[in-house]
Amino acid sequence: MSTAIIYSFTSNKTAKAGQKIVDSFGESLKLDVVDADNLAEEKFLAYDQLILGVPTWFDGELPHYWDEFVPAMEEMDMKGKKVAIYGLADQVGYPENFADGVGILARLLRDRGAEIVGMTDVDNYTFESSHAIEDGQFLGLVLDQENQARLSKKRIDNWLEDLKKIFK
Amino acid sequence: MTTIPKVYSIKTTPKETLESWFKLMTLGRAIDDKAPNYLKQAIGWSYHAPYAGHDGIQLAIGQIFEKQKDHLFPYYRDMLTAFSAGMTAEELILNGISKATDPSSGGRHMSNHFAKPEWNIHNVSSLTGNHTLHAVGAARAIKYYGEKAVSISSQGESSLSEGYVYEAINGASKEKLPVIFAVQDNGYGISVPKKDQTATRKVANNFKSFKNLRIIHCNGKDVFDSMNAMTEAKKHVLEVGEPVIVQANCVRMRSHSNSDRHDLYRSEAERQYVLDYDPLAKFRRLLIRYKRFTEEEIAAIEAEAKATLKAAHKAALAAPDPDPESYPDFVLPEPYISEKYPDGTHEEEGDKKKLITALNETLKAEFKHNPDTFMWGQDMANKDKGGIFNVSKGLQQEFGPKRIFNAPIAEDFIMGTANGMSRFSEKIRIVVEGAEFADYFWPAMEQYVDSSHDYWRSNGKFTPNVTIRLASGGYIGGGLYHSQNIEGALTSIPGVRIVYPSFADDAAGLLRTSMRSRGMTMFMEPKALYNDPKAATVIPDDFEVPFGKARTRRAGSDLFIVTYGNTTHHCLEAAQKLADEGIECEVLDLRSLVPMDKEAILDGVKKIGKVLVVHEDKVHSGFGAEITATIMEEAFEYLDGPVHRIGSPFTPVGFHPILERAILPNTNKIYEAAKKILAY
Repeated sequence: MSTAIIYSFTSNKTAKAGQKIVDSFGESLKLDVVDADNLAEEKFLAYDQLILGVPTWFDGELPHYWDEFVPAMEEMDMKGKKVAIYGLADQVGYPENFADGVGILARLLRDRGAEIVGMTDVDNYTFESSHAIEDGQFLGLVLDQENQARLSKKRIDNWLEDLKKIFK
Repeated sequence: MTTIPKVYSIKTTPKETLESWFKLMTLGRAIDDKAPNYLKQAIGWSYHAPYAGHDGIQLAIGQIFEKQKDHLFPYYRDMLTAFSAGMTAEELILNGISKATDPSSGGRHMSNHFAKPEWNIHNVSSLTGNHTLHAVGAARAIKYYGEKAVSISSQGESSLSEGYVYEAINGASKEKLPVIFAVQDNGYGISVPKKDQTATRKVANNFKSFKNLRIIHCNGKDVFDSMNAMTEAKKHVLEVGEPVIVQANCVRMRSHSNSDRHDLYRSEAERQYVLDYDPLAKFRRLLIRYKRFTEEEIAAIEAEAKATLKAAHKAALAAPDPDPESYPDFVLPEPYISEKYPDGTHEEEGDKKKLITALNETLKAEFKHNPDTFMWGQDMANKDKGGIFNVSKGLQQEFGPKRIFNAPIAEDFIMGTANGMSRFSEKIRIVVEGAEFADYFWPAMEQYVDSSHDYWRSNGKFTPNVTIRLASGGYIGGGLYHSQNIEGALTSIPGVRIVYPSFADDAAGLLRTSMRSRGMTMFMEPKALYNDPKAATVIPDDFEVPFGKARTRRAGSDLFIVTYGNTTHHCLEAAQKLADEGIECEVLDLRSLVPMDKEAILDGVKKIGKVLVVHEDKVHSGFGAEITATIMEEAFEYLDGPVHRIGSPFTPVGFHPILERAILPNTNKIYEAAKKILAY
């Protein structure tokens, strides 16, 4: 199985979180690191397992680099692929659209046949609404470096514990 | 997250459409980027609110607008909106550098306020979002006349903090009007962030509980999301016949304007964050990424934009500046001219009618005369109630609820929608009861002042054809808030005629002239005289009184009294009392304050030499000050004593009859003052 983690190399917090994920997997999983800013469809489809870094921008939007890739993703066949999403978000500044980006991308890829893995609990966050929630869980890992930076390491570790069981 | 049909996408939109959009966006941005240079070179464009970051939604607003059919009310950041709606690069620059040929205002209005009234791209003020009410008024006309069109109010998200925007959206919801409120949300009102404006970041959601109102959110930085949102909004308005709010999330890539420095309140990281989502750069990348255009094709369009901008710049620079001699033009349009009653007098005989009857019958006659006449206000039409004093009794029964109707208790809405509805067609005439009492007109003042500017600001292209009726004055025991006079404050504002009759025939004649004239008229009704027999007169059925024509109500040679409104009658009573003592006073009833019959005033001064100016409003800065100063400047050598003024003291009008009597002028106070002057 081939695996890639994709995030924007020009991002700050999302890239740092991505690096932590890479470091944590270490030798246990061969993980290609791919830049979301210059993502080609062929590259995206070349992997069986994907970890996507998707911060939420503004009032519940995808960052432009993911948004510009949406028209390509809308026509992809993602059957048989496993996708885990992590996203940076701000529950105090943007409580009405907390981590919406995670939900937008998760639903889009699931509609194309992907299996979304790595759901997490919504406990210990305070916000009003989120498109990232389904059946009481986030559709990925949500990190809030603005307000809960101290919890991020533990959240990443817990998430990767689950992913390590899923990603081969 | 949008849940609207994807009519447009990067993969399916025809190439020629994408090309036209990219051309507009590229050239538009080039002008937006160049605008500050005009200021640096001291050419003009001293106010520039950059639109960069609003590209998607502004393109979309302009694209769905159908000129001469829809009505568009752009705000001061809407350069690309205006360009996308059809204005040319040269026209944008003409506005920016305030040339005489600027189609928006001929250099009269502040730069960066783009308009083309002949296409229904309306000229609006700088007051944030006050055109929301105009858009609702225009939508009311669209609905009444059965047009398949929409009215679009474009504005920033901070404008939704304004009370009149609430009034506008409430009215559109109540009346189910074909209007789109396009809210361009860049997160700031100058330096004030959204969190300091309202608790809801998606501010349109504050209106979620309104009935008959759809709310659509879109990414205003994205061309396709914006196009889909605005297309869906227009479709909904046209098919369902109800209003829509489109809230478009934008970024403000630059400072609010060239007088603002956003580095004082935005971090470098934030400024970079918004630059990273440059909508034009994003659109360009999409065109290349999805192979709709080659780099060469894009480069050719960009080169063409540069050439077009250069040519437009050159042409605009060569255009004439405004003529300094033109400043008096377009303060007020020419009024209706009475051929039969050029002086506004008559010799009719017969039964006398009360002032209230005069108003009621004239309204009915004019509603018959002009089928495009409308009237609304508070307490205006509910069964047998027609206005707070029943002036409009029976009108709704006779002319129907679509022409005569109640307005919400929202004075600014009453005024603002009158302005807006009258933009639909020159033939429309609107009468409003501006407030239940003149005392309550103040909430409408921003619309009153704005409307007073329209004719001048649009360089004569638009004038609101509106008559504002206000029950004014005291003598009814209604202080503090049912007895004030406000004309002293209003007469300082150019662009509105102000009339204040004191007899039934003049009330009828002035109302007829007001309703047949272009422009705005403030029609002040002395409510204490509505049913007073002393104001009753014989009235010819077709009586007309021209503006600016005073009427001598009593001839004399010893003292000249200039007055209007309620005090005309006190002056006549005082004159009679003096006549009993052998002193003959001449009483001139001005009838019109703006325009003022200066000739009649000066003639009286020259003939008699002793002058008393009387009105009910405060002496301090009252209209009498203007009359008196005019006499001093232009007829000083004819005076045989100082001009005296009688009016209210510099206090509110009190409620208790003792206080009211102490404050308001009366026959005895006028008599005593007259005696003092006569002693000179």
